[in-house]
Amino acid sequence: MPFLELKSLVRNFGGLKAVNGFSLNLEEGSLNALVGPNGCGKSTLFNLITGVLKPDAGRVIFKGQDITGWPPHSIARLGIGRKFQVPAIFDELTVRENLIVAGKRSNTLPLIPEILQQIRLVELADALAGELAHGQKQWLEIGILLAQAPSLILLDEPTAGMTSLETRATADLILNINQKRNITVLVIEHDMGFIEYLGCPLHVMSKGKILKSGDFATIREDAEVKALYFGQSREPADA
Amino acid sequence: MRNSLIGIIVFGCLAVSPAFIGDYWTGQLSAYLVYGLLAISLSLVWGYGGILCFGQAMFFGIGGYIMAVFTKGMIYPDLTSSYLGLLAAMAGSAMFALALGFFLFAGRGISGAYLAIITLAIALVLERLMNNWYALGGYNGLLNVPPLKLVAFGLSYELWDKLPTFYIILGIVAAVFFAVTLLVNTSYGLLLTAIRTHPDRLSSLGYSVLNLRLSVFSLSAAIAGLAGALFVTLDGFASPTLIGFTLSTEALIWVAIGGKEMLLAAFLGAIFTRTAESWLSEIFGDYWILILGIAFMVSVVLLPKGLLATPFERLTRRKRVRPSSPAIAPSPPDPPSPPSGPD
Repeated sequence: MPFLELKSLVRNFGGLKAVNGFSLNLEEGSLNALVGPNGCGKSTLFNLITGVLKPDAGRVIFKGQDITGWPPHSIARLGIGRKFQVPAIFDELTVRENLIVAGKRSNTLPLIPEILQQIRLVELADALAGELAHGQKQWLEIGILLAQAPSLILLDEPTAGMTSLETRATADLILNINQKRNITVLVIEHDMGFIEYLGCPLHVMSKGKILKSGDFATIREDAEVKALYFGQSREPADA
Repeated sequence: MRNSLIGIIVFGCLAVSPAFIGDYWTGQLSAYLVYGLLAISLSLVWGYGGILCFGQAMFFGIGGYIMAVFTKGMIYPDLTSSYLGLLAAMAGSAMFALALGFFLFAGRGISGAYLAIITLAIALVLERLMNNWYALGGYNGLLNVPPLKLVAFGLSYELWDKLPTFYIILGIVAAVFFAVTLLVNTSYGLLLTAIRTHPDRLSSLGYSVLNLRLSVFSLSAAIAGLAGALFVTLDGFASPTLIGFTLSTEALIWVAIGGKEMLLAAFLGAIFTRTAESWLSEIFGDYWILILGIAFMVSVVLLPKGLLATPFERLTRRKRVRPSSPAIAPSPPDPPSPPSGPD
């Protein structure tokens, strides 16, 4: 039984099919990356999994339980954490208070010192989250996810706006979360170097569904993916 | 807790004030304390909960009418206990808020200006309703509401005199103030700040945003209902003006001038504005409204945190660490760094 099972998800916005028959199975403890051009439906897909949006068709099955159409907070309580594309943290609370709010429900308050260390914000624990640098905000949000003690995390562009050094450290953090804590991870990214570094299975999304799946080396050489990314279209584009 | 210390000083000053201000002003101050309680309720829901309720007087009015109906014996002639009246006023307001809140916050929820307009409209509708509800006195309201009656150990005492009334009201207001102050300093207060800054993040952490909003909305309504109930025992009558537009906007102005994000500032905002109104309207007549308007604009434009809250915050500011160093220094991926912060 797959850990997370997405079955032919469909979501329309007016005439636009943002997600159009998307299917994917994730195994427990796996790390997977999802790439695709802007507007291909990646963030909408996350919204469908986390209950922010309801799918027009298709099912979301988590640990064998059908959670399609559940409200976001009920889905979160099952242990699904989500990092938003724009850092979603509580600006008016301190770094530590952010983690307290995140960890209160799952009784992970004793883990907060360890999490602070892991996200490298020990010295800034009492700083207002809104005053952090952009990269630090991204890290704090990952820390918030850890405090939530999830079994599955969905990361939407965790390295957006980061320096290459920060990106590298973020990749190490994600690998650490996946391997040491055995948390299943699905990450959306644009940065191919980052994905290569993660060394995980890669799924290319286009027009609301999966175009290709495979490891990084295979995908990189794939003609269709090249066409998608570099516009060397072999068939007439139907945009 | 320097914040609570200032609160204790303020309530201490209020407690000794009748010795200096005389009988008339003691009576006035009792009413201002009740307005202060309404301001506390609005500060809780608006400044802490992030719900801009433009019709806060509706809960005040509902509480007032329930108290009047109860203590006048209009429900059961033998059951005119002030205690029951106060409890029923709080419960009635809270339940009305719960029902109203469900429609406002369920689903995607209404927020911001839309919420303000809808709550204002509901307050107007209720004011209109009370004006035409003849069983409850219609336009004239309910007259001859008895004062608070304290019953304990078989003794009964009606609060006709100004001084004992003042102290009972002060005691109730202080108790509510310190209780709410304690509450917003618990993790519930953190959740309120969190819901105000990023509700989507909070729900994706497993919190029900609807339940949280309903809890703060009805708690605030219960406090406003208590204030309304106390008010009718002071004034002796409940009228449609308690429930509607004018008092709602006045309360909003007190809280904005004082400072919505600080209970004490909002409370004092109500008392100062009311006191200033009494003095200045004698000197300037109707032009007093201009002065109030200017104060309101100064507060909104120059000191959006409030005329009183800004200096208070200077006094009680927590020392914060400001992030200045770059996020990540060049270092191996997993440095065996010892914990360096006090945890």
